[in-house]
Amino acid sequence: MNESITLASPSGADLPAAASMPAVRTQGVWKIFQQEAEEVQAVRDVSLTIAAGEFTALAGPSGSGKTTLLNLIGGLTRPTRGEVWVEDREVSTLSNAELAELRLQQVGFIFQAYNLLPVFSAMENAEFPMLLQGIPADERRTRVRELFERTGLTGLEDRRPGKLSGGQQQRVAVVRAVASKPALVLADEPTANLDSRASEALLDMMAELNRDLGVTFVFATHDTRVMDRSRRVVRMVDGAIDSDETQP
Amino acid sequence: MREPQSSQHLGVILVLALRNLRRNARRTILTATALMVGGALLIFSLLLGDGTHEQWIDSGVRTGSGHVTIERPEFRLSRKIEDRLPASTRPLVTTALKSPDVASHVTSVFARLTVTGLASSASGARPAQILGVDPVTEATLSPLDEQVIDGRYLEPGDRLAAYVGVGLVESLDLRLGSRLVLTAQDTHKEIAGQLVRVVGVFRSGIPEIDQSLIHIPLDTAGEWLGTGHDVTNIGVMLDDSTAVAGLVQHLRSELADPLRRGEAVVMGWQEAMPALRDAVLIDEWGSYVMFGILFIIIGFSIVNTVLMSVLHRYREFGVLQALGLTPPQTGAVVLIEGLVLTGLSGVAGVALGFGLTWFFLADGLDMTRMMDGLDEMTFSGVAIDPVIYPVFRMTRVVQSLGFIVFLGALASVYPAVRAATVDAAEAMKFER
Repeated sequence: MNESITLASPSGADLPAAASMPAVRTQGVWKIFQQEAEEVQAVRDVSLTIAAGEFTALAGPSGSGKTTLLNLIGGLTRPTRGEVWVEDREVSTLSNAELAELRLQQVGFIFQAYNLLPVFSAMENAEFPMLLQGIPADERRTRVRELFERTGLTGLEDRRPGKLSGGQQQRVAVVRAVASKPALVLADEPTANLDSRASEALLDMMAELNRDLGVTFVFATHDTRVMDRSRRVVRMVDGAIDSDETQP
Repeated sequence: MREPQSSQHLGVILVLALRNLRRNARRTILTATALMVGGALLIFSLLLGDGTHEQWIDSGVRTGSGHVTIERPEFRLSRKIEDRLPASTRPLVTTALKSPDVASHVTSVFARLTVTGLASSASGARPAQILGVDPVTEATLSPLDEQVIDGRYLEPGDRLAAYVGVGLVESLDLRLGSRLVLTAQDTHKEIAGQLVRVVGVFRSGIPEIDQSLIHIPLDTAGEWLGTGHDVTNIGVMLDDSTAVAGLVQHLRSELADPLRRGEAVVMGWQEAMPALRDAVLIDEWGSYVMFGILFIIIGFSIVNTVLMSVLHRYREFGVLQALGLTPPQTGAVVLIEGLVLTGLSGVAGVALGFGLTWFFLADGLDMTRMMDGLDEMTFSGVAIDPVIYPVFRMTRVVQSLGFIVFLGALASVYPAVRAATVDAAEAMKFER
């Protein structure tokens, strides 16, 4: 473990030192899409609290609403009704600019399809959110290099995404998500495009970051490997929470 | 937590825009080439057009009444000797033209006594436009002295000399040394005659001038018509036709009293020669319309390039928003791409156009072949020179670049709006 990386919550409290405020809280959240004449209830009356430092999986089959719930938490979409809180901010009441600021400062995203920017190198992709945050170049580079070292990406800094394997791209995406020290990382099917070996390696890495750096991870997944590694598994069926289990 | 600076966002957006332009190099180069060629043609055509118009204006004002003319308000229509300028006007004009604000543009000042009369010989009589001129000043500005086909132009010391258009010479069956009687109404409203001899014959190529114009010495005209040193109009020639408005304003201010009393008017060539002004305007707007059409086509090509780029990167715009860019900042990425593309291409195109213009600067663009079968081309009393010399004007550079960049911005607005209104959550599902 690299001791020089110390993540702090935006409110200033060191993580994971049991923060009193939940990382995420939803209260009676609904998301209804209108598809032609038909109403689709993607998320139905979901109330959920995720504590800071948790490693939580939202599990369920395709169409169960887990990705929509993840998007609601990340402020990528707004709830039809109900409340979504990320730390002390109620996401559904924020303006577009405030939502962008929330995503920039408090949320890191990891996507199924990696979604690295193809015109940037691995290093540039990883430091992109910090660049937007206005963090000086030296500090950005130091943080990314340390995380690259932890995640086995050293030597690949200057490669463009097209010259990286799927596993390497996803690791760059994880570094991008955590390097800016967000309160919360939302990962949507992060292992879906990876083989089992790469998936295990990625999960090891994220578990280590969660354990060592206190980053809160929330996954949307139907990968049993992810569920097995998660301390808490929230199962969703037809947009509603079916079960919520915390492993000892 | 640090507060992000908008300049940092702008820097990131600029880098993204530049990298994306390089990413689709072929598409970028094709669009940039179209813009460069369009820009080069635009500047070349504008500078050549300005040169053409300068030649028209120069020809018109030299044979006409100068870049700026001062005369009595009634004179333009009446052409009568009683509508001449009061004697006090000339010194006022001379003083006004010495002002440092305008003196540097003034190349010459001429005074004429212009009268409509009759020219008669043993063979008959013809209406004539008779100009009493100062031979020395007139020779420095009028092209007529260089268009002599027989004899010579008027000289200082000439008294009963006449320089006559070839059409009139033929109509009245005159030759060099022939006697000619000029008849017109004098200051006492009596018909007065003046005998002169033909010392030179000219061919301007403009039928209405060749068939009616006669130059005689100003002193001779004054004695004949009883006007003394009075003149009907004072003309001012400038080194640049764009300085006309400033001089007109200056003279109107300096001659405020005679103007208020209705003793004089100050007119730029545009007012004095409305047909020439209209011809220049029509030609200029014709060019603008042509280039408008050309650049609409180029504009669609830019829209296509930028929009294709946006559609291709639909998911990326969602990612950018997920990473913390606001919708307007996402749109700005596209807008800046369009502006950088058009700005750089515009600069290169204008430079190329300048190079092309430079090539024709010394010897001009010879259009003689296009005038095959025509000895002279004239309109509104203006002879058209088949060799066109472009003129350099910085305002044209600024206008061209401004137009190209404005077009780039305009063409990028729709793609930028598409990028800004991306639904980030939906964009993540988008498969390229």
